[in-house]
Amino acid sequence: MPELGRAALIVCLGLAVYAVVAGAAAALRRNRRLAESAENAVVASFATALVASLVLLVALVQNDFGLVYVADHTSRELPLGYTISAFWGGQEGSLLLWLLILTGFSAAAVLLARRSAPSLLAWTVPILGGVIVFFAFMLVAVSSPFATQAAPADGAGLNPSLQNPYMLAHPPMLYLGFVGLTIPFAFAMGALAARRSDELWIVVTRRWTLLAWTFLGFGQLLGAHWAYVEVGWGGYFAWDPVENAALMPWLAATAFLHSVMIQEKRGMLKIWNVLLVIGSFALALFGTFLTRSGIISSIHSFTESSIGPWFLGFIGLVLFASIALVLSRLPLLRSKTRLESPVSREATFLYNNLLLVAFCLTILWGVLYPILTEALHGEPVTVGPPYYNFFLKAFGLPLLLLMGIGPLIAWRRASLRGLGRIFAWPASVALATGVLLVLLGAGSSIPGLVGYTFCAFVLASIVLEFARGTRARHALGSSSWTGALASLVGRNRRRYGGYVVHASIVLLAIGVIGSSAYDTVAEQRLRPGDTMAIGGYDLRYRGLEERRGANAQELRAVVDVSRDGERIGTLEPGKNRYFAEQQVSNEAAIRSDRLNGEDLFLIADQIDADGTLFLKGLVKPLVNLIWIAGFVFLAGAAIALWPDAREQRRLALRYGRAEALARA
Amino acid sequence: MLGVFLVYTSIAGGTPQLAPSELNGRTGQVTIVGKVVAPVQRSGRTIRFRIKDVEGGSSVRLPVTYTGSVPDMFRAGRDISLKGRLRNGTFVGASGTLVTKCPSKYSSKKET
Repeated sequence: MPELGRAALIVCLGLAVYAVVAGAAAALRRNRRLAESAENAVVASFATALVASLVLLVALVQNDFGLVYVADHTSRELPLGYTISAFWGGQEGSLLLWLLILTGFSAAAVLLARRSAPSLLAWTVPILGGVIVFFAFMLVAVSSPFATQAAPADGAGLNPSLQNPYMLAHPPMLYLGFVGLTIPFAFAMGALAARRSDELWIVVTRRWTLLAWTFLGFGQLLGAHWAYVEVGWGGYFAWDPVENAALMPWLAATAFLHSVMIQEKRGMLKIWNVLLVIGSFALALFGTFLTRSGIISSIHSFTESSIGPWFLGFIGLVLFASIALVLSRLPLLRSKTRLESPVSREATFLYNNLLLVAFCLTILWGVLYPILTEALHGEPVTVGPPYYNFFLKAFGLPLLLLMGIGPLIAWRRASLRGLGRIFAWPASVALATGVLLVLLGAGSSIPGLVGYTFCAFVLASIVLEFARGTRARHALGSSSWTGALASLVGRNRRRYGGYVVHASIVLLAIGVIGSSAYDTVAEQRLRPGDTMAIGGYDLRYRGLEERRGANAQELRAVVDVSRDGERIGTLEPGKNRYFAEQQVSNEAAIRSDRLNGEDLFLIADQIDADGTLFLKGLVKPLVNLIWIAGFVFLAGAAIALWPDAREQRRLALRYGRAEALARA
Repeated sequence: MLGVFLVYTSIAGGTPQLAPSELNGRTGQVTIVGKVVAPVQRSGRTIRFRIKDVEGGSSVRLPVTYTGSVPDMFRAGRDISLKGRLRNGTFVGASGTLVTKCPSKYSSKKET
């Protein structure tokens, strides 16, 4: 079987090389038949990647420890679900998953664009092929998942912290996001190489970018929830380089999603958009590189890792080639119009972009800082959460404010009087909220107070937009108010889907601010029978319990929880000792309050043999809004992604002529 | 832009990361990265142990004391990083900064 997997990967590499060579030759000679054959090679490469993936999957499920990868990442005791998740639990499998998604997305994008924009594919196909070549080559020559050995009696098992349902969904989601960013990159470069100056590539790839961005965003939130419930230190995001790896391309893609609207509507920011799409893709590659190369722990482990130098070389090549292409096509990228006023919707979008990119660069600088200082002074210097949190406030709060301003302000040029009229209502809501919060005691954190005031402002302006639109529809003759609302959203899916996403970001901000600026932490040494008070809760440590789980010995501290003298439940923080992996992992216990979204979070920091417990407790107000935000985010993204026949007709009219010209 | 980060990191941020043999009596705040040498002594919430360089043949065995939460993966032979400063020849770790390092976040095997 491993032979089949290896063979499939070699065929995949061959097909990708063919797509590059034949595709480029076809584009140069304008040979349509050869171009179609190159397109078919991309589609066929998906079939070979699928075969290789199935081979690995079958080997995992059958506990075929003759495969080094299977023996290193699973064991006989491992439940089936986690055996499957071991597919992406290690480096080789992760690369194979990258290749599988990459070829799948490429095949789908090629097949779809064949009908809607065939002329755009000429150079896009060899570029997609080039990316596939890299990953297929890595899997064939550098980091093969099909290396064999004499089978040991049992495997080494999967890292216990990966034995969690979230690990079934979180890594594939992130990969779908990372890889998805390849598609807009390839089409943008394909359009440039073909000397096209229109916006067709943006139209064709809008949904791909949105889809990749949605996966990346939701995947990160899943990761945050995993960190929260499973890693058990009481937080959900720690500015760990691996977390930053996913956040950076998401921020760049967020900037891109906004600035393309300006290019579509006003023909501006063309160079900027091309740079953003290159940046997003390079950051997606960099993210994979960061998580896989080991460069984080030390510059030395990087040179020992098998894939690190290859990845760095490929990122360098991508950046060099695409920047060179952009420079050679500068005349094509000249803006049709200029910014008319610093107070206009275009300008707001521009500020939003600058802040998002600045924040992205901040994180990049923080991630690279230890590497740079080690290279310069021989001594790595790290920056920690204070650095990131400072810039999160410095850039995040203005971004929040802009989110309330942008949708309401006029295009081109806004008058002062107009501003006063539009913003009177949201501004008063924000002010009233601010005063109310001060009275409630939220003044203990100034950034928190400012953040909440901005949140109220944004929510008010979103509600105002929905209300105005619905009223206008109703006046046009919609029978009911709900019908008017539905038709409003249905006719402007991008816009109102976007507002729903904005609302989810506000929910996220409320949750993040509540749980970080207004949390309570307490630690105490407890003997059985002792009590401890934290943030309005009274805890009583009853004693230890030990039981045998499916693949771990479970030790639990039983803690009674009461509030205002009334018992409201029992929490059991503890530790698991995994049999196969010989590792201990912390199992935090969480009580969520459904009414106010607050969590009581308990960690059994240390349990001594005599039953003494070192208990750490955290009270995190509003933290559950973060997870609710995830679902609102998905709903908004789904509205914006939903196929829209009216939009398709409009675009067909606009680009049909250009397409006909290009084909002639 | 870059200037702002440079200024910020040089003034406010940044903790140097050193191997035990590189400490050389420095008393400022640093992050020490090394391998835990047995035995590890526990008394209540405080642990005492020595650490050596992860790589190279240095004979330095730096005594360390640390009070606070200890990660699940901590044990002799592991690579760790710990923020703190040197006091009277002993490296005193700051609570909550003890981190165990594994070769890759996602793989549990091949400890060196």
